[in-house]
Amino acid sequence: MFSLAIKNILFYKGRSLTTFLLTFVSLYLFIVYVAFMNGSHQSMLQNALNVYTGSFQIYQKEYRSKGGYDYLIRDTRKPLQILADTKGLKAFAPRLETFGIASSKTYSHPIMLTGIDFNREEKLSELKKALTQGEYNTHGACLYMGENLAQKLHLHLGDTLSFVGSAVDYSFVAELFEVCGLFKTGMYEFDSQSAFMNRDYFDTLFFSKNMATYIVAMAENLKHNDAVATKVEKKLPQELQLYRWQTLMKSMVQLMEIDSLFGYISMGLFFIVIFFVIMIYGFININARLREFGVLRSIGVSDNKISLLLLLEILLLTLFAFVFALPLGAYTAYYFQIHPIVIEGMSEMYKSYGVVSDKVPTLFDPLTVFYNSLFLFALNLLSIVYPIYYVRSFTPIEETQHV
Amino acid sequence: MKVLLLFIFLSTAIFASEAEDIIKKVDQNMRGKTLYLKIAMSIQTDYYERNMVLESYSEGSKKNFVKILSPSKDYGITFLSLHGQMWQYIPKIERIIKIPPSMMLQKWMGSDITNDDLVKQSSIVKDYTAKMLEKKGTLATILLTPKADAAVVWGKIITTVDTKTYTSQEEIYFDDDGKKVRSFVYKDVKKYGNYYLPTLWIIQPFDAPKHKTTLQIKEAKYDAPINPAYFSKSALKRFSN
Repeated sequence: MFSLAIKNILFYKGRSLTTFLLTFVSLYLFIVYVAFMNGSHQSMLQNALNVYTGSFQIYQKEYRSKGGYDYLIRDTRKPLQILADTKGLKAFAPRLETFGIASSKTYSHPIMLTGIDFNREEKLSELKKALTQGEYNTHGACLYMGENLAQKLHLHLGDTLSFVGSAVDYSFVAELFEVCGLFKTGMYEFDSQSAFMNRDYFDTLFFSKNMATYIVAMAENLKHNDAVATKVEKKLPQELQLYRWQTLMKSMVQLMEIDSLFGYISMGLFFIVIFFVIMIYGFININARLREFGVLRSIGVSDNKISLLLLLEILLLTLFAFVFALPLGAYTAYYFQIHPIVIEGMSEMYKSYGVVSDKVPTLFDPLTVFYNSLFLFALNLLSIVYPIYYVRSFTPIEETQHV
Repeated sequence: MKVLLLFIFLSTAIFASEAEDIIKKVDQNMRGKTLYLKIAMSIQTDYYERNMVLESYSEGSKKNFVKILSPSKDYGITFLSLHGQMWQYIPKIERIIKIPPSMMLQKWMGSDITNDDLVKQSSIVKDYTAKMLEKKGTLATILLTPKADAAVVWGKIITTVDTKTYTSQEEIYFDDDGKKVRSFVYKDVKKYGNYYLPTLWIIQPFDAPKHKTTLQIKEAKYDAPINPAYFSKSALKRFSN
């Protein structure tokens, strides 16, 4: 049966070539498309996490629902020690966020002023890499602020601005700051609202020594984040709560899930077309071969063997296409993961969607490639089901007399 | 029947009128024609205790000027309330900031009093309708409900007034849903000329039992002439030092 299937494949070149090409193109496109889709999602997420969010954060319970200074972590020493004793963390740091009004001579804007340890943040976030002008590690009454915020306040490097807010004990904080550094992460909202200052000076202004709005941590490997977070979670005092990036970035994760869903729906429509084209070609071919099947059945070849023959034909054609498409698709996905495509100006255009880089990488995941291939393989095999049913609906006599 | 209805109507009107009179006298005691106060304020919460000293100059209910005297980091911060508008001056940054009406009920510097309490912009006489709830000896318990056109947020206030001195002993503030929000307890009533003034005020919010703000009146001068310059925007900077 196997050699007969080979002969048929070689004999019916039109059908074989069409099936081969369609399967090849579909599988190749599917692997590359999904790799690009997952790659861009991964990149957006990674960028967002690396820029500022980290892979998990620790808060005083109720801070995220109620907010305000009443729900600060009052003593960061214990949770920081727990993090120091936990393996698998790249870096961690406490942050204290406060909100107030920043004013230049003529413009005012609400801002989020955060006291950070610049040295720790360097290992934890992309804040240093985002530096565009001035210095990163500012001291004293010096601010490291978003470029968009500086633009809104019409400020330049070296200019002075005033800040009015409240300290942790709700007393007034009013201070004049110098713009010592500017950054641009590409996340528009973040860049137009955020300013950072050295934690030591921040603590003298806001009376916030050893306090934090939250402690941010970054796992060495994002894949192991859950395990590391669980370890930390078990040791944390009862009043503290750990949030993983999936919760912190909930809206972004949901956006990606919806985007993936639409991506798969688009590909699904494409596959439906391909499926019917392969099936129709197969059907036309089989319809033309009805006499041949009639003769085979007349000389004693069973219906099951005829079905097996047709199945073998599509199986061999599919496998033949897979032999070329699978390694090529996998290689393309892998290649662009290492050498991402660069589209100049893309980050500027899509910054509000969290795109902070002009690079469009793929995500090469062997398991995803395997599942995608399996799906297409099953679809190809499915395309022969109706033609087999069609052949079996005739008697051998009807088939031999078929015109 | 008619006589009975007339009796009920008259007694209600008399009680309402009496309640309004009491409230007017309490308000008069709290304001005078002009009033200068030096106040020591202590704020206690779960996490900190803060002490401040401030002085307040007021003329009626429309004009009020407040200056912080200590701690030194806040020295010279001034507040001016003038005909329903409020400004603040911060000497360190040399800026005058207008406080919008929407922020009048925000807590003032982490205390349990609001911006409105500080400058006494809303008036229990003009903005509320008074109704006598109970009268026992010299103590009158009065219900204050906001008038329809009054820009206040309290659903109601119940105040207990000592009619001997016409000073409030306790005020309980309720929100629109009738839930207790905070209480003012007034103690140590002293006489200043023709006026009586409680010199210890204790404010406690009901949702944070460990929070407490205490105001101790250190000095009070009634009806003394106040330089009109205090009640102009330029005063914010001028009298800051």
